Amino acid sequence: MSAWISAKALRYLIVIGLIALWELLPRTGLIPELFLPSLSSTLIAGWTDAGEYGHALAVTLYEVVVSMAFACGGGILLGAIVGSLPRPRILIMPMMSSLYAVPLVILYPVFTVWLGIGSESKIAFASIYGFLPTMLATAAGIQTIDPQLLLAARSMGATLSQRLVRVIIPAAIPTVLSGLRVGGALVIVGVVVSEMLISSAGIGYLISRYRTILDSAHVFAGVLLVLFLAIGFNAVIRWIERKATIWQTGTRAGLANDDIAAGAMQPAT
Amino acid sequence: MQPLANVTPLKPAARAGAIEVKNVGQVFKTRSQDVVALQDVSLEIKPGRFVVLVGPSGCGKSTLLMMMAGLRQQTAGTITINGAPILQPDPDRVGVVFQEASLFPWLTAEDNVEFPLALRGVPKAERRAKAQDALKLVGLDGFGRRHPHELSGGMKQRVSIARGLVQDPPVLLMDEPFAALDEQTRMTMGDELLRIWAATGKTVVFVTHSLTEAVYLADEVIVMSARPGRIVDHLQVQLPRPRTYEMLSGDAFGSLRDRIWRHIRKSA
Repeated sequence: MSAWISAKALRYLIVIGLIALWELLPRTGLIPELFLPSLSSTLIAGWTDAGEYGHALAVTLYEVVVSMAFACGGGILLGAIVGSLPRPRILIMPMMSSLYAVPLVILYPVFTVWLGIGSESKIAFASIYGFLPTMLATAAGIQTIDPQLLLAARSMGATLSQRLVRVIIPAAIPTVLSGLRVGGALVIVGVVVSEMLISSAGIGYLISRYRTILDSAHVFAGVLLVLFLAIGFNAVIRWIERKATIWQTGTRAGLANDDIAAGAMQPAT
Repeated sequence: MQPLANVTPLKPAARAGAIEVKNVGQVFKTRSQDVVALQDVSLEIKPGRFVVLVGPSGCGKSTLLMMMAGLRQQTAGTITINGAPILQPDPDRVGVVFQEASLFPWLTAEDNVEFPLALRGVPKAERRAKAQDALKLVGLDGFGRRHPHELSGGMKQRVSIARGLVQDPPVLLMDEPFAALDEQTRMTMGDELLRIWAATGKTVVFVTHSLTEAVYLADEVIVMSARPGRIVDHLQVQLPRPRTYEMLSGDAFGSLRDRIWRHIRKSA
């Protein structure tokens, strides 16, 4: 227990140390401001152009939310079908698994040709990007449900729909949530990366534009915003996970989910 | 000997629970061949008896139990409980207790016990009252709010038994319920099960790998042979009840166990 507390304290210390270094290293001239503008000049840059960043954040958030709805909705739906029926599984799973290894970002220029450089192409790209891990996790979550549980439910007279609602869905929730965590993070990556590549709005676009004019303070202000976006998303998912999977506390399944989320399922970018 | 003669059943329905298995067969069709898992199995179980099925691995004893539960259809013959054939799971007539893992981990102990009642839309208050009674019967009064991961292996199996009994079916089928438990817990659970059985007057059909457990618990032991599964012996265990630990080392106990073992060695 005491080791855990000190680990937590150490984590805070590291974060505080990094923040201090961020301010001190550029100020003392050890790192040129072009490479790393100090924290204070980054914040000032962000503050003076708050309107611009606010607008960019609104665009990015909109794209993230819509993409997440597509990625998670589609991923859970198709994952549930693929996970519970053997025929589609045989048909689709090998395809999906190999698709997972493809750096999907190569498709983005194609999307801009089809959908233009507005939000639609970002949403299309980020949706597909976040869809795969959600689908694979949902399919895995449903496939790995203990058949004894379904047998037990059947012995108590559960109909097919009762088994779905009362056994399959609750049993699959932890794995699905860990898939959502990876899928949601990839949606954010997908939106920001596509904004940086070919775009006219959004935080990624701002970062990329300020980079071309070598305004490091404004670049880092954008980076900071994306960072907060990702941390915020992760916090929300963790909160949902804690609420929904109290029964898994301390079990092996709970630990396995952390492993999945921690990078075992990261695709090529 | 009538071990149940001095036990008054809780209610008339508890007197039901006769099981009749007639010429039952089970053939698994695989791509290359048909595997005969059970062949021409017939047996009759009187209400209120404690019957144990033993046999080598793959003899189809679990398969036979699943067919009695209506969870699997036989390819030949009929199985009737209370005089009516079992064609699908019927929780009014049959409760089933599985191996350890069959409690729903996201539900508390009492929600697990209430599960079969919830499936049929029994009102919450009535459900809760019945679950409390069932938990009390298995000695888990006060543990209803715990999740399965907060319970020991023996306690989990008590919850499973409570779940099997909560609808008060005349028949309780148990598929190696104590196989995952350690030796001491297993002995304790055996005694607990006999106490619950005596208190409720259910017909119990119990599958196990342990010959000691079989003789210790049973009124009757049914010995099955390796594939194709057939009944090779049907023993009456004439030991007095309540069974005690001292009986395990007695001659009567030993000779029954030896007789079962000889059958199993021959067919394995």
